[in-house]
Amino acid sequence: MRRALGAGLGLALYALVVLVPLVWVLVGSLKTGSEVFSNPWGLPASPQWQNYADAWSQAGISRYFLNSVVATVGTLLVLIPIGAMAAYVFAKYTFWGSKGLFGMFLAGMMFPNFLVAVPLFLLMSEFGLLDTMIGLVLVYVSYSLSFTVFVLTGFFQRLPNELMEAAMLDGCGHGRTFWRVMFPLARPGVLVVAVFNAIGLWNEYPLALVLLSRDENRTLPLGLADVVLRTEYQANWGTLFAGLVIVMLPVMAVYWVFKDKIHEVMLAGAVKG
Amino acid sequence: MRDSARISAKLAAVRFQGITKVFGKDVKAVDNLTLEVKDGEFMVLVGPSGCGKTTALRMIAGLEESTEGDLFIGETRVNDVPPKDRDIAMVFQNYALYPHMTVYDNIAFGLKLRELKGFFWQVTHFTEAKAKRKEIDDRVHEVARMLAIDQLLHRRPKELSGGQRQRVALGRAIARKPRVFLMDEPLSNLDAKLRIQTRAELIRLHRDLGVTTIYVTHDQVEAMTMGQRIAVMHNGLLQQCDPPETVYNQPANRFVAGFIGSPPMNFVDGTVSNGHIDLGPLKIGLPAGHPVRERQGGQVTLGIRPEAIYDAGAKCPVAVTPDNSFDAQVDVLEKLGPEDTAYLDARGLSLTASLDPATRIHAGESAKFALDLDKLHFFDKQTEVAIR
Repeated sequence: MRRALGAGLGLALYALVVLVPLVWVLVGSLKTGSEVFSNPWGLPASPQWQNYADAWSQAGISRYFLNSVVATVGTLLVLIPIGAMAAYVFAKYTFWGSKGLFGMFLAGMMFPNFLVAVPLFLLMSEFGLLDTMIGLVLVYVSYSLSFTVFVLTGFFQRLPNELMEAAMLDGCGHGRTFWRVMFPLARPGVLVVAVFNAIGLWNEYPLALVLLSRDENRTLPLGLADVVLRTEYQANWGTLFAGLVIVMLPVMAVYWVFKDKIHEVMLAGAVKG
Repeated sequence: MRDSARISAKLAAVRFQGITKVFGKDVKAVDNLTLEVKDGEFMVLVGPSGCGKTTALRMIAGLEESTEGDLFIGETRVNDVPPKDRDIAMVFQNYALYPHMTVYDNIAFGLKLRELKGFFWQVTHFTEAKAKRKEIDDRVHEVARMLAIDQLLHRRPKELSGGQRQRVALGRAIARKPRVFLMDEPLSNLDAKLRIQTRAELIRLHRDLGVTTIYVTHDQVEAMTMGQRIAVMHNGLLQQCDPPETVYNQPANRFVAGFIGSPPMNFVDGTVSNGHIDLGPLKIGLPAGHPVRERQGGQVTLGIRPEAIYDAGAKCPVAVTPDNSFDAQVDVLEKLGPEDTAYLDARGLSLTASLDPATRIHAGESAKFALDLDKLHFFDKQTEVAIR
């Protein structure tokens, strides 16, 4: 009983630590710049909806928002098919060197991306892909591939081999067996991987910082940081907070929509189904 | 099942020629198997787990490659033909229905893959594709009616009972009119009653469709009741391949004799001497004219089917003589209804007997029992091969 109480208190404290800044930013986004300092903990005297309009158009967040959508969606469109195909092969076939190859894929998860920033910059510059959306998407794909393959391999391993075999006897080659039978069955896993990657990519800062320089190419995190820098001495904190809310909203919406599915998949296998 | 007569089948024999399958470095799952399954035959591969029967079946499907030997379907050597081109259908032990498709799509999937050759073809051959789709639709409904699953076509596999899933798996196999049916223990996930019912349906289905069927099971009752011929396997080796009654009455060796039959055959080691077999505590006369008589002083194993032992006191169909009778104590008596199973102790020898329920013997009592000498089996003690 005492332990349960302790755990409950701990979790409540943790929830507070996470929620208070969020709520504070949300409330702050409706205040005027001076009000943020004069009345940091209270509710806004009159809600400044104008902050959102200013952030969206004047601070150029609409442009950054679009770039982030292109980068995130573009990456997922390339990443998911490639990652799923690789994971399927690692899960269902053993061939000479397959374990070593899988190990190399996993090793990708262990590199901090700051470590590769300089070589990556030089490489992309060689290819002429610096400061382009295609370049950013390609880097994002390779950066996310390790995690994607790692998670999806587990999913494909759980699918019975008989389904593959039944498909082959029904007349499928390897490609059709994968796309018509195995890939649809791994859909819950694909969904979770897509959501996790989307959240990570949406918030990704360091790689974008290294690879993008022109203002029109900036993604949301870069753009927002830029807003902070530009307005350092005459900061309109209300507008900045509105921008932050615009960045957070899609992530929270995505998580909210898929949260049941994510919990289901995370718990799958814990209880024999 | 009345629509089934309309379905014609392409017949094809399956022939193993010196097929060996080695897993890893030295695990021989199938050892030099030579076996021909005739056109339209119902062949049962039976044996204990690990005997190589499923591996043999999977090699026919192309899901395993043979290490040595040739495999023929019809006149074609298929060693290098991928599974999708072998025109074979398989019913898996766990059915392997596609969980994301409805029953209809499960049955139609293979047909669509074969008949509708890709999206581009369907666009360029619009009318032909439309006709094909109609054909496929008719065929799915025909098969569903045949198996009485036409009410379930819109359901998903997880909404079906075990028996219904089993029928869908069969439907998927039948719909394509394959050259060969492979069945890997398809009844093992059903409850006892449903298993017996489905057993009869499979026999009827085979009779109606006439497709070459190779059926794998570890259950000797399924083997005996379903197979036109039974191939008994053990440790990767084919022990005997004959019609069920031959396998039962003339087992090729001690393994087959012990594997087929329930309760299993009694085995007692003994020595041949002067027209008798000396079993230690017992001495039994040898049947007249049996070649085992020539092995004077030889070590042999006597095999007695439980139903060849009779209660000498009640309705005994053989004449009781000192040569074929012995005294024994009834250790345990199991009343099964149609027959009683008695566990006998004949002066230290344990024997199992299937007795007529009219017997008045009770557990713990001693009585006289008689053997039908013509139904005795003899095996060489070393090689375990039957002496005939």
